Amino acid sequence: MIYYLLLPIFSLLVLIIQTTVVDTLSFGKAGLEISLILVVYAGLHLSVIRGIALSLVIGFFLDCTTGIVPGFFMFSYVLISLISNTISHRVYARDAIFIIAFTFMCALLGKLLIVLMYKVLYGINVFSGILYVSFLQAAVTGLFAPVFFILFYRLEVFLNVWETRSPDRL
Amino acid sequence: MAAPKRPYTIIVALALVIISLITFSLINFGSSEKTGLLKKTVLEIAAPLEDAANSAFTSIGLAWERYVLLVGLERENRELNAKITSLMIEVNNYREMSIEYVRLRKLMDIEDDSKNSTVVARVVGRNRLSVFKTVLINKGTADGINIDFPVMGAEGVAGKVIETSWNVSKVLLLVDYNSHIDALIQRNRCRGVLQGSGKSGCELKYVQRSDDVRVGDVVISSGLAGVFPKGLVLGKVVEVDKKEAGLFQRIGVCPALDIARLEEVLVISTRMGDDR
Repeated sequence: MIYYLLLPIFSLLVLIIQTTVVDTLSFGKAGLEISLILVVYAGLHLSVIRGIALSLVIGFFLDCTTGIVPGFFMFSYVLISLISNTISHRVYARDAIFIIAFTFMCALLGKLLIVLMYKVLYGINVFSGILYVSFLQAAVTGLFAPVFFILFYRLEVFLNVWETRSPDRL
Repeated sequence: MAAPKRPYTIIVALALVIISLITFSLINFGSSEKTGLLKKTVLEIAAPLEDAANSAFTSIGLAWERYVLLVGLERENRELNAKITSLMIEVNNYREMSIEYVRLRKLMDIEDDSKNSTVVARVVGRNRLSVFKTVLINKGTADGINIDFPVMGAEGVAGKVIETSWNVSKVLLLVDYNSHIDALIQRNRCRGVLQGSGKSGCELKYVQRSDDVRVGDVVISSGLAGVFPKGLVLGKVVEVDKKEAGLFQRIGVCPALDIARLEEVLVISTRMGDDR
């Protein structure tokens, strides 16, 4: 229960760190999508419902603050979470190389969905315009993913311990 | 242990996926006319937090930038003083022309259509790395701002308001792929549609190949689409390409405003739609 209560607060925090701290440190060149890393982590390590719930919340917050097409981030993050969850049953998801490669692929998938969305909804071809930036952003996100996986894992352990102990406190 | 939970898990997971699909499909029903209560609440919570975090980090970056800038300050000061003198002469000329214009309008009995009031706002949130080019400003419906109001910077048009909550609004910048503004070339009144092309540029579309467009031409709003009043500066032509086959020429436009350094904006609370 604590997980679902903390979900909106944690998601908002991740979003704010992403749009402020990371954005400033990257000097507007190659960004790091912490929200996407979190969604991939949730897909690989959490239960399917927890993963989708987190993707929905963080996607909704992104839609509210930076999105233009309603529900786009929600949809793409849920899709990425589901793919991650499906794959997690078949691979050893703690290997750093796998995390880097898989997060990189997911980041590219997210950008591909944007290209498809523009093409289908508005008939605009944005592929060439965002190709270089997308590739760079996906590479940076992939490279930093193992570090954030460790952070998220520690947080997950902390929350689990807290959740297990909380009935004793009452 | 996991077996009894399986149908429940599948149902809940499916329900959540359906929620995301429904929200995504809402765009086809034109439901984005008004900002929902939940969205408004998120905007109200997120914007002040982003503002606080942004202020702290930006001030650290600015401190270093300002220190570096001090190096060429004396030379720049002399150049700017010279520029001010020439601009003062230019302003005086324009003032004379303006007085003459008002006098002539009175003579011709033409009604003044510049009844726009403005609201000054500050940029409190942005995501420079997102494909979607939007910023959050710290004024909303409480200050009289509504959807489709034009947003200006010091040098020209920044974009238009696409979502509003009580004290925060989301602005679609003119460099976004979704931004389309009916525009004119100031010099010869050639018409086109200015569309954002991501990053920091725009493209003037649907200008006929026979039209005379040159690098350096100023692009202004035509006032036809009902959002932007006529004559607002949009940008400058930086590239003209007639080599591609087709009816139209390819025109690259650099926005008048430095989008990356946008800090304060002016929201024009015009109601052009009412006049239509």
